[in-house]
Amino acid sequence: MTDFLQFSVIGLLTGGLYSLIGVTIVIVFKASKVVSIAHGQLLAFGALFFWIFMVGLGYPLWLSFLLTLILASLMGFFIERFTMRPLIGQPLFSSFLMTFALFIFLDGAFQLYLAGQTRAYPHFLPQGQWDFGGVIVPKGQVVNFLISFFLFLILALSFKHTRVGLKMRATAEDHRLAQSAGVSVRNIFTYVWIISAILASISGIAMATVTDIHYPLPYFGIKGLIVALFGGMESIGGALLAGLILGLLENISAGYLDPILGGGIKDVAAYVMLLLILLIKPYGLFGLARIERL
Amino acid sequence: MRASGIFDKTYQKDIAIVRSWQHWMLLLGTIAFLFTIPLFASYYFINLLSNIFVTVIVVLGLQIVTGYAGQISFGQPAFMAVGAFCSAVLTLKFGFSFWLALPLSGIAAGVVGIIGGAPSLRIKGFYLAMATIAIFYVTMWVITHLKITGLAQGLSPPPPKIGNFVFDTDERMYYIIMIATLILTFFARNLVRSRMGRIFVAIRDNDLAAEVMGINLYYYKLLAFFISCFYAGIAGSLLGHWYMLVNAEQFTLLHALTYIGMIIIGGLGSIPGAYFGVIFLKLLDELMLFSSPFLVDMFPWLGMGSAASLSLMAFGLVLILFLIYEPRGLARRWEIFKTSYRLYPFRYGEQ
Repeated sequence: MTDFLQFSVIGLLTGGLYSLIGVTIVIVFKASKVVSIAHGQLLAFGALFFWIFMVGLGYPLWLSFLLTLILASLMGFFIERFTMRPLIGQPLFSSFLMTFALFIFLDGAFQLYLAGQTRAYPHFLPQGQWDFGGVIVPKGQVVNFLISFFLFLILALSFKHTRVGLKMRATAEDHRLAQSAGVSVRNIFTYVWIISAILASISGIAMATVTDIHYPLPYFGIKGLIVALFGGMESIGGALLAGLILGLLENISAGYLDPILGGGIKDVAAYVMLLLILLIKPYGLFGLARIERL
Repeated sequence: MRASGIFDKTYQKDIAIVRSWQHWMLLLGTIAFLFTIPLFASYYFINLLSNIFVTVIVVLGLQIVTGYAGQISFGQPAFMAVGAFCSAVLTLKFGFSFWLALPLSGIAAGVVGIIGGAPSLRIKGFYLAMATIAIFYVTMWVITHLKITGLAQGLSPPPPKIGNFVFDTDERMYYIIMIATLILTFFARNLVRSRMGRIFVAIRDNDLAAEVMGINLYYYKLLAFFISCFYAGIAGSLLGHWYMLVNAEQFTLLHALTYIGMIIIGGLGSIPGAYFGVIFLKLLDELMLFSSPFLVDMFPWLGMGSAASLSLMAFGLVLILFLIYEPRGLARRWEIFKTSYRLYPFRYGEQ
């Protein structure tokens, strides 16, 4: 029982981060119907920028965080402006391919900088852990979870209650209608990319405090895609739930099956889950089923 | 577009792939050239060519399933791995000869591919892409966790041999790879203009409409996956016996992305496009490999050993530019060139 609780707690805490990555993909999809693989790189670069400012250049924590967010939003802006916008009017599938071209390009840059090494942050999150009768809860991960939950809340509320959020929802509903009601759809696309780049970089930093910055970090973006698909591509709340479920499932199955089957269950569990979802409920938990006509 | 004055007078001529004697000369000349390359070319060049040919086989398979049948597949390296490991296991553990193991590994990869392609019956587009990524990871996990495939270290299959003649050098292996590529190219070229190829195109363009017209979607989608994975399996088997080493590190998701990139750059839905894409990207790789010492000299902060990352960046950049400026790839440029060359003084062949 202690084992089970231990696995679930770690799973939930990791799941919070997965939801944040998932939601960055969901908001881009909601607004522009583009599925992005490139978010894994946005995440990795966020973590990398933060490392460069904090460790490489020795800036204080708040300044490096701020500069990271600025650089991340610039990245989001450039990606939208120079790679996504020229493809408007072409089939959506070429936008999908574009994000994966971006993934390859940024992957090269990421590997170029890392050169096969691992970069670790100094400990800026609270260290140590709480012990609840054998169940160990690391403090740093709790902080990560709370931060991502808080960001989630802000995002959901600003979608509901701000003017830009309203415009974004209108754009998600129907591009042409939104445009005729005076919403600049182009600007909305830019905003969405910037916001999701910022969120992705924050989740990247949070991820890197747990795993350090090393090569497979960009591939957490694929975890985000799994979350987005599982929750339904249109649903922000779905991403939250799906991220938590994915984290739980990964950790519990890895905890119990790894000793028997010999390692690597964590990733495979996620992909097996993805396959099952796609076969049973292709549009996710809260996604809209699409009706096709000739 | 034909040059002026050339007409098809018989049915045979109308359906011929090779139309004129110049065409025949060019084809035979190319094949003869390919056969004589090892006589004068350097070791490095032969290696590069074999590498290109193996990749061409995989990309041809991908071209059939993605370019023609419209079902995107990121699972190609996993099916290559299935082929490679199958042929290694058959030759090492069961004592099969390479010549039997080669087609069998193709079929094994094809069967796994049918299982892998099963989600395409329900989903399409990027949902299918995600499903194939999942299949990729699951397959690779199974391969690296089975005892018979040597766990993480992999296996070292023996080189093929006929009687006492062992194909253990790069030049000898080049012949096997080249001949396999020629046969498979011929097969693919004919396949896509047969009834089956036309059905694939119909499914790609609008699968609902194709179904309404009486095409059995399930059968043909799975068939497309089978054929493409058969190609991948053959390529994997050749690669394994050429390197005399197979392990999971040779088949990564990045390879899958590269293959997709190759068919985009070459041109989706075109057999010559597969060649263009592979050759273009392999040459780009080599270019980056050669130029990276100079680049490092110029920009010392790049650091040593940056060639791989630099070529990855170059690849990404080229892919971005192609998607924006020429989404139909080099194959379309080639068609435009051919038309304008044939109609030379006149200009109305350009589309």
